[in-house]
Amino acid sequence: MDLNKHTYVQDFLTHNAQSFPEKVALVYQNQRMTYWEINEQSDALAQWLVEYGIQPGDRILILLDNSPEYVISYYAILTSGAVAVPVNTDIKAAGLDFLFKDTGAKILISSSAFQRVLDDCNFQDASIKIIILCNPGPAQKAPGVLAISLADIVNARATFQPNIPVNQNALASIIYTSGSTGKPKGVMLSHKNIVSNTLAICQSLDLTHTDIQMVVLPFFYVMGKSLLNSHFAVGGTLVINNTFLYPATVLNQMAEEKVTGFSGVPSTYSFLLHRSPLENFRNKLPHLRYCSQAGGHLARSVKLALRKVLPDHTKIFIMYGATEASARLTCLDPQFYESKMDSVGKPIAGATIQIANEDGQTLPSYAVGELIAQGPGIMVGYWKNPAATALALDTMGYHTGDLGYKDEDDFIFIIGRKDNQLKVGGNRINTQEIEDMLLETGHVIEAFVTGYPDALLGHRLIAMAVAKNKPTNSQTILSACTQLIPRYKIPHTLLLVPSLPKTSNGKIDKEKCISLLTNHIRLEENQDKKDINDCKGLRHEQH
Amino acid sequence: MNSIDKVRAFIVDNFLFGDDSSLKEDSSFLQEHIVDSTGILEIITFLEEEFCIKINDDELLPENLDSLKNIDAFLKRKLSQK
Repeated sequence: MDLNKHTYVQDFLTHNAQSFPEKVALVYQNQRMTYWEINEQSDALAQWLVEYGIQPGDRILILLDNSPEYVISYYAILTSGAVAVPVNTDIKAAGLDFLFKDTGAKILISSSAFQRVLDDCNFQDASIKIIILCNPGPAQKAPGVLAISLADIVNARATFQPNIPVNQNALASIIYTSGSTGKPKGVMLSHKNIVSNTLAICQSLDLTHTDIQMVVLPFFYVMGKSLLNSHFAVGGTLVINNTFLYPATVLNQMAEEKVTGFSGVPSTYSFLLHRSPLENFRNKLPHLRYCSQAGGHLARSVKLALRKVLPDHTKIFIMYGATEASARLTCLDPQFYESKMDSVGKPIAGATIQIANEDGQTLPSYAVGELIAQGPGIMVGYWKNPAATALALDTMGYHTGDLGYKDEDDFIFIIGRKDNQLKVGGNRINTQEIEDMLLETGHVIEAFVTGYPDALLGHRLIAMAVAKNKPTNSQTILSACTQLIPRYKIPHTLLLVPSLPKTSNGKIDKEKCISLLTNHIRLEENQDKKDINDCKGLRHEQH
Repeated sequence: MNSIDKVRAFIVDNFLFGDDSSLKEDSSFLQEHIVDSTGILEIITFLEEEFCIKINDDELLPENLDSLKNIDAFLKRKLSQK
């Protein structure tokens, strides 16, 4: 198949509605939709948007769980010339109010599942003029703005396909990143960004129209969206399952639907390894051609365990990316999975990555510096935020904020985030290394390590972890650490919890972890002070 | 307080900040965004500790755990096996 025929993101759908009209594009619960059916409904919505008065470049928000309606809405928005703004489904009213204001969007596409959030939004001061609702329930209250049913729109057959002239450099999507500090930043991606990155991913993973992908990552997240686009680009099939937290259901469906591909972030794989019957499915997944992982560092211990548990014929692709790079930047060819296990591989087609020092000089092999990426997938900039854009983008490319090096064969190794480097005493410590060690003890499923201000040391290490077995206490884990790392690298505090707080795309919610740890330490300190005072009081009484 | 009332109280306190108006017997925790991505594991830990049961990996299914009604039926089955 000639993938280069795709120019705009919506071409992935429209071209395959011609090439594979009867092919099942989506499987969702008991529903199966062909490329033709999705395209028909997408065109109907696009036509409605144009007739409503949507102009090229207008922003439209999508607040939906993964579903056929999400896919229809996404491609319809792009066909109408507008810009799709996916919204994190964990959003609260204040966050949505911010997005209304920041994007100036006139339309929100959502569903009755988000009724509680919508009820709390301030539509009085918002630019939103209309909400298109999927499955409006009988009890649906008007949240102070006109609401219309998506089904009513898409069931009216399109009389024409809106043929809106769009430049390939025009904006296709604004994706808001949570950002560890400050307000969320809107990453602006053009049609060219997304199409080029999608085609490079198809090439890296050898995707074809025979591929069937199990999707458990949300479409609002750039990696989830890239699963949609890459499989629609080749005319493949997506099986949408939103119940990954009940993993046995997902594994059963993977076997039933003869799924060929599965993708996840690190917590997806930790969860599959430790809280699912994956091991029992080793002989039940004969069609599973590959698994891919991106969205953060996957510890070596997890990689080794995964290789043992997955069927032998299943290839594992380790990838690295960023929202600012449209999705993915590198891929480790599975043939190097064992020999270059800690590497994220090499840049995907069209991308380049250099390792540079703070003066912008390219560094030789094994020298650690910041990864700076270039290529057609690199974002246009941050929406209405020239200051943040200037910090991230310059003539060298996109400054990822990740530290790493290349080996003599040009494989890239990432050692951590620039902002994850801590000074503890006189020692520079990379928190990612400590997290890996906690996992390597064999007692821990997942871990988060950060620093806490300390008058004497600068920082002291504090950690939060999920124990593999209930009787394990923090003392057992920390004493196992003493066998693996020097004492100064051992966390001063280790808080055990049933699970680490996560964002809805499955990544560890660092902000929430830090807040829980800080509260825990303050409680401990107050208790210590109380004990000292009690002790002083006792001594005073004794005197 | 019977078993399912304890579960309801746990969910209302931990995920709904005391507001139980939207929690019906058959409300799907995931579809209705009552419990976030981390919450299911917290519910499992709560059930295991509160009722001294072991929930196996292959029992992590929506039909066992995704609503108060389903948890109630699941708990009754588990407790009768003890």
